[in-house]
Amino acid sequence: MKRRDFLGGVGAVGTAGILSTPALLTSASRALAQGNDIPVGLLFSLTGAVAVVESTLHDAALMAIEEINAAGGIHGRQLRPIIEDPASDPATYADRARRLMIRDKCVSVFGSYTSASRQAVLPVTEQRKNLYWYPTLYEGRECSRNVMYGGAVPNQQQDELIPWAIENFGPRFYMIGNNYVYPKEENNYCKTLLSEYGGEVVHEEYVPLGHSDFSSVINRIRSEQPDVIFATVVGDSDVAFARQYHAAELDPAKMPVVSLTRSEVEVKAIGGEAAAGHFSSAPYFMGHDTPENEKFVEAYKSRYGADQVTHFVSEAAYFQVYQFKAALEKLDPANITPETIRDAAVGLTLNAPQGEILIDENLHTHLWPKIGQWQTNGQAEVLVESTERIAPKPYAAYDGQTCTGEGLVKA
Amino acid sequence: MTSRFHYDLVALVIFTVVIVFGVPALMNYDGFELNTFARYLALAIVSMALALSWGTAGLLNLGQAATFGMGSYAMAMHLKLRASNGLPDFMGWNNVPELPLIWMPFESLAFTLLAGLLIPAFVGGLIAIFMFRARIAGVFVAIITLAFLVAFQLLVIDQQGLTGGQNGLTGLAQLSLPGWTVDPYSMGFYYLVAGCLAVALAVGVYLTHSKFGLVLRAIREDADRTRFFGYNVATYQTAVFCISAALAGWAGMLYTMVLEFASPTYMGVSFSLAIVIWCAVGGRESVIAAAFGAIIVNMLEGRLSDVFVEGWHLMLGVIFVLVVMFMPRGIYGLLSELAAKLRRAGRQGNAASIDPSSKTQLETGQEQ
Repeated sequence: MKRRDFLGGVGAVGTAGILSTPALLTSASRALAQGNDIPVGLLFSLTGAVAVVESTLHDAALMAIEEINAAGGIHGRQLRPIIEDPASDPATYADRARRLMIRDKCVSVFGSYTSASRQAVLPVTEQRKNLYWYPTLYEGRECSRNVMYGGAVPNQQQDELIPWAIENFGPRFYMIGNNYVYPKEENNYCKTLLSEYGGEVVHEEYVPLGHSDFSSVINRIRSEQPDVIFATVVGDSDVAFARQYHAAELDPAKMPVVSLTRSEVEVKAIGGEAAAGHFSSAPYFMGHDTPENEKFVEAYKSRYGADQVTHFVSEAAYFQVYQFKAALEKLDPANITPETIRDAAVGLTLNAPQGEILIDENLHTHLWPKIGQWQTNGQAEVLVESTERIAPKPYAAYDGQTCTGEGLVKA
Repeated sequence: MTSRFHYDLVALVIFTVVIVFGVPALMNYDGFELNTFARYLALAIVSMALALSWGTAGLLNLGQAATFGMGSYAMAMHLKLRASNGLPDFMGWNNVPELPLIWMPFESLAFTLLAGLLIPAFVGGLIAIFMFRARIAGVFVAIITLAFLVAFQLLVIDQQGLTGGQNGLTGLAQLSLPGWTVDPYSMGFYYLVAGCLAVALAVGVYLTHSKFGLVLRAIREDADRTRFFGYNVATYQTAVFCISAALAGWAGMLYTMVLEFASPTYMGVSFSLAIVIWCAVGGRESVIAAAFGAIIVNMLEGRLSDVFVEGWHLMLGVIFVLVVMFMPRGIYGLLSELAAKLRRAGRQGNAASIDPSSKTQLETGQEQ
């Protein structure tokens, strides 16, 4: 009893001690403007379910910020990154976004990997007229005036891919994806392209997010003998799918997996051997040969380790910070608000690692789609490169709806 | 009136005064801070709801988040219909041709408010009847409710055409009551949430000190014995489960209004376990302490994550381990032990007196 009381006392004192740590009480000081610098928010999950990928976006964006600061900042002002960890939880995203946009008065926030987290941040972004820079490829069909979309939308990933796949492998497509809006939407768009080019869907299947047993899927693929496996499986599910596909000894030369989501990060987890021979469609691959990319990859590796990879989302997380910089440089330093930044960003071109990109008036980005084949070393060999920059059409699958500079227009 | 009831009433009044008058003043009436705190207060309601079933009746409901989520989706469905002309956007994306039947009544605010309370209560009641008629108790209650939670979340995620799937319900309107559009950053909204918490706590305090609460405590201590006294144990357990579920649904409705979206993560296992932690830190024996626990843990989480961007999760974990090891009855337990010690010290001169705490217990029983 005595001992227990003592321990209880120690526990209470300990807790009280933690509660009254001076740093905790003075935390608000971080929010105050420190002189003349420009506060920007970084809202990428560093912990939780999607942290493996999302932390690489954080790393890339932070690297860009520090490169800009090292080169003298913008108008002589330093960028002050305010880092939050939303822990892969939408409610936490909403909470931290409020902090960054309302309390810390960031003029822009860079963040999010999943659509669910972007949607969680949208209400406060739109209400406070802030600017959210979202680097991920996504399903389109969104036309916010307060989000800068740096990733590909369905038409940018598929317009070239689908006819190419039909021509090279055949018209019979097997669709496998996770059960949420992104795969369904990509498949919706794929079906319109298939009907245009004379392809067909032999089977369409959705597994829960995080699903890792693909034996029944693989059995069905074996019995259906499709020409192309059109995959929109994400994260751990994709890793499991690729490994089991390889273990089942299905031949990529006969039945290749053509993925919209598989990047260098997933391939690193899958292993080069199992990933080799399959294809991905993306605007960027790590091995892409431009001076900008060489610089990006080298800086990234020397900073975070030689075994690290860059991929099509981290590239966007990186170039979006430079787009932000370019927009700010066009502005009068006394008049920097999220809205003026947005207006200045429209029409900007930038030499990104993937090529020269352009911000459309609908706030999506004109990109350079590519088709890559994975090699045993974990890198992709680019087989097809778009001859022209492709404009983003977030409502491509929906007749009569266009995302314009005035928002969504319905015919 | 027993002294314990007295203490709780005083605590309730102090607590209410602090959250209604103290906190806004402390926050400088700043919209952002008040919005953040309103979120904590909404979570305090679900924590006190758990204390009602766990602390009072000994029924550890690990599925509390499911009923919370039902309330939150009920409110979100209403606000989504208000925000969209005709068919909500995500239904179009999922090739749903017309508004499903189950969505239609949510056009009405009155129905929504009722549904946010009654649907969780009804579902909670169904599970409770199934469990308690079969005299399931102890850890099995936790397992069944947890299993229900997981199944329910999967169902919500799977029914994308009805629920928005993984993304949940987003793009909501602000609630408009007659003459008042509820802005989640306004003082009015803060008072609304604080008022709801105060009412929920008053209900909780009343219930725990009524005869109903006494029977529940008796069931917690020895269900068989209570049964032999002639009480229908299953009915009491079912009733407290329903009330707890309704309160959780209420909290869910407010939570949707604070965050302006509803997500299936509100029905996640980790969220449900977090509720248990808040309740345990505050002290599950008292509804006020449980509410306080939710507020203090969430504030701590907010502060820690603000200062230590990396490792705040870990620190929070260490604190929870310490609490469980050294304060198994939570802050409430610590305070009541302290009070008992003080009383004992004060009594040393007067050795003949009877232990007042045991006497109080008896009185509670006889009075009602």
